[in-house]
Amino acid sequence: MLTTAPHLYIRRPSPTTAEFTVTTCPPLTLPLRLALLALSALRLSLAATVLFALYTRFITPPTPTTSPTSTKHHHPPFPPQTYTSSPLSPTAYLTPTHLTSLLHALAASAPGQHLARLTAPLPPWLLSALSGALLYFALLWRLHTTESLLVLRGLGIQTATTAAGGALWGGGGLWGWVVGFGGPATRFIPTEKIRDVLINEAFKGFEVRYYLAVVVEGEEDVVVVFPRLLPGRRIVETVWRGVRGCLYEAPPEGYGYDGQWKRG
Amino acid sequence: MAPTYNIAMVSDFFFPQPGGVESHIYQLSTKLMDRGHKVIIITHAYEGRTGVRYLTNGLKVYHVPFLVIYRSATFPTVFSFFPIFRNIVLRERIDIVHGHASLSSLCHESILHARTMGLRTVFTDHSLFGFADAASILTNKLLKFTLSDVDHVICVSHTCKENTVLRASLDPLMVSVIPNAVVAENFKPISNPTETASHSFGHNPPPARQLGPHDTITIVVISRLFYNKGTDLLTAAIPRILENHPNTRFIIAGSGPKAIDLEQMIEQNVLQDRVEMLGPVRHEEVRDVMVRGHIYLHPSLTEAFGTVIVEAASCGLYVVCTQVGGIPEVLPSHMTVFAKPEEDDLVAATGKAIAALRANKVRTELFHEQVKTMYSWTNVAIRTERVYNGISGAISEADFYGYDAANAASWSATRGRSGVQSFALIDRLKRYYGCGIWAGKLFCLCVIVDYLIFLILELLFPREKIDMCPDWPRKVVDESNDRKDGMR
Repeated sequence: MLTTAPHLYIRRPSPTTAEFTVTTCPPLTLPLRLALLALSALRLSLAATVLFALYTRFITPPTPTTSPTSTKHHHPPFPPQTYTSSPLSPTAYLTPTHLTSLLHALAASAPGQHLARLTAPLPPWLLSALSGALLYFALLWRLHTTESLLVLRGLGIQTATTAAGGALWGGGGLWGWVVGFGGPATRFIPTEKIRDVLINEAFKGFEVRYYLAVVVEGEEDVVVVFPRLLPGRRIVETVWRGVRGCLYEAPPEGYGYDGQWKRG
Repeated sequence: MAPTYNIAMVSDFFFPQPGGVESHIYQLSTKLMDRGHKVIIITHAYEGRTGVRYLTNGLKVYHVPFLVIYRSATFPTVFSFFPIFRNIVLRERIDIVHGHASLSSLCHESILHARTMGLRTVFTDHSLFGFADAASILTNKLLKFTLSDVDHVICVSHTCKENTVLRASLDPLMVSVIPNAVVAENFKPISNPTETASHSFGHNPPPARQLGPHDTITIVVISRLFYNKGTDLLTAAIPRILENHPNTRFIIAGSGPKAIDLEQMIEQNVLQDRVEMLGPVRHEEVRDVMVRGHIYLHPSLTEAFGTVIVEAASCGLYVVCTQVGGIPEVLPSHMTVFAKPEEDDLVAATGKAIAALRANKVRTELFHEQVKTMYSWTNVAIRTERVYNGISGAISEADFYGYDAANAASWSATRGRSGVQSFALIDRLKRYYGCGIWAGKLFCLCVIVDYLIFLILELLFPREKIDMCPDWPRKVVDESNDRKDGMR
């Protein structure tokens, strides 16, 4: 529901510039925005829970009552003046001691105890591995793949890929997640290096797929545009025609492929 | 307006590898495209030739990545080819799958899958096989499996047809004979070209090539040097021929495991100045080698058709060949001297040919024109097209198979409308079941599994998700040319 089949957006800020974006992200309607926001909140709270579980297991002692100091003096480990002083400045809540006490209180609460009971039987290595995986999923997993091709006449073309899945691989890292689609893996090819832009077919898995490729001078392999999504022929042809029209000049009317091959 | 088809030629053997099957597929495809059909070729990946390629005339070739096991035949994995085959067939909107060569597992598999997908299939057999040794028995069983459910079979010669009908237990009515052809323009004799230009004007035959009694006669052999090509026979015959006939010499082109035997023979008999070994030659250079000689010697032990002797005759060479397989059908008797496939007879036949040439009894300069009228790829394409029309029901059963066949009670019960084989799974199973006590059941199992895979593929890769290929503009056929070529 949150992703769709790859589809194309074309942006033409000026006659000599065009950006072709192929993405699995559906159009951002209000319900979708809300759903994505809820999903983000869910992922953040999942991350927080995992971190908290790690904290209760490895950093605090299991129960604060066993601590000898607390039994002797019968007062909480943070200074009493925090209770007595009149309205606190907001920064006072963020002091390490206060935060620690908050965590202690949480650990002592019913959900905290429950979490501690849940994690207790797991051996430490398994717990760390599990929480690592969960943290990675919660913080760094990207939902949509977006690939784009920016064409600037006289300058060149730039490909960009932001892949779904582990954001560390797709480029951008944590910052990419925070910003949204920031920090993709990009590649710029100057015009004088471009020999040709063409559509080709290749075997991929159990299929034969169309792909758009840029032949770069001095390189043995072609640069595949939209390498992750490999959109279908319809999109690839639109982009190809757009790129050639933008990079060079628009072909004369009635020439080339337009649903049906024509002889020029 | 004749119907046109989208045809997929499937074989393990295709360019860049040279050979008879390869050039047959290429020439046939080219001529079928000239007749307005769409043709693609599916073969496996060769080194440096992978992916999807276009040849210069717009012929599309899919080099499917597959494991090659023996002499560029792929490993037979009955089902693994299906997903990609289905994808190709759907995106190219194929109607007819045409497999070539009985040693190609790619071809057999695709015929099976094509029938499962409900397509018409044709198989062309290019080679003869024995019945006795283990490899032949296995191949024959495999052939029987595939050909149990094929719409039509094409053989390159009548001998080949006989052989295939026996090997695969086929109804002879569903086997056609369509010979190979040669591109006569590529095999012109050495005589000056201005002569042929004025030729159509005055209908003068080219002047005879006179041979003096002491002129050197050159004997050409072009073949891959394998056992089945009769290289051993050649090794034994050469010293005797050269001994009996002074002023003769040999040119041998080709490579293979038997080349070493030939070289040893040359060393032993000190024939370095009379036998020239050229090593492998490319197909386009064959003509240049041939025109250096007067006699073409073809010692093959088994041959379904023997395109090379047609090429030699087209170059104006007198042909000496063994009387095996389909060879006697290929050329008229005035162009050839036949020998039994044994040393003495081969030496004697070569002697006869040399004597005939020395006596200037043979008009080799006329051979080219004669071969040109006998063999043309356009004609092959027209006849193949007729087969396509027959199996897809465009021409009636009585027309295609003959009137007796249409009425005969013995006519296969599983045939449906106008002699066209039914695609229903139960009918297909019936056909496979008759293949043998155990084999029949095994084959049925394979077919059922294949059908299940087909259903799974339909779920996993739905048809509407597959990109369709745009068609090239098709050529328009000139019907008047048609009639002229067809009547030949």
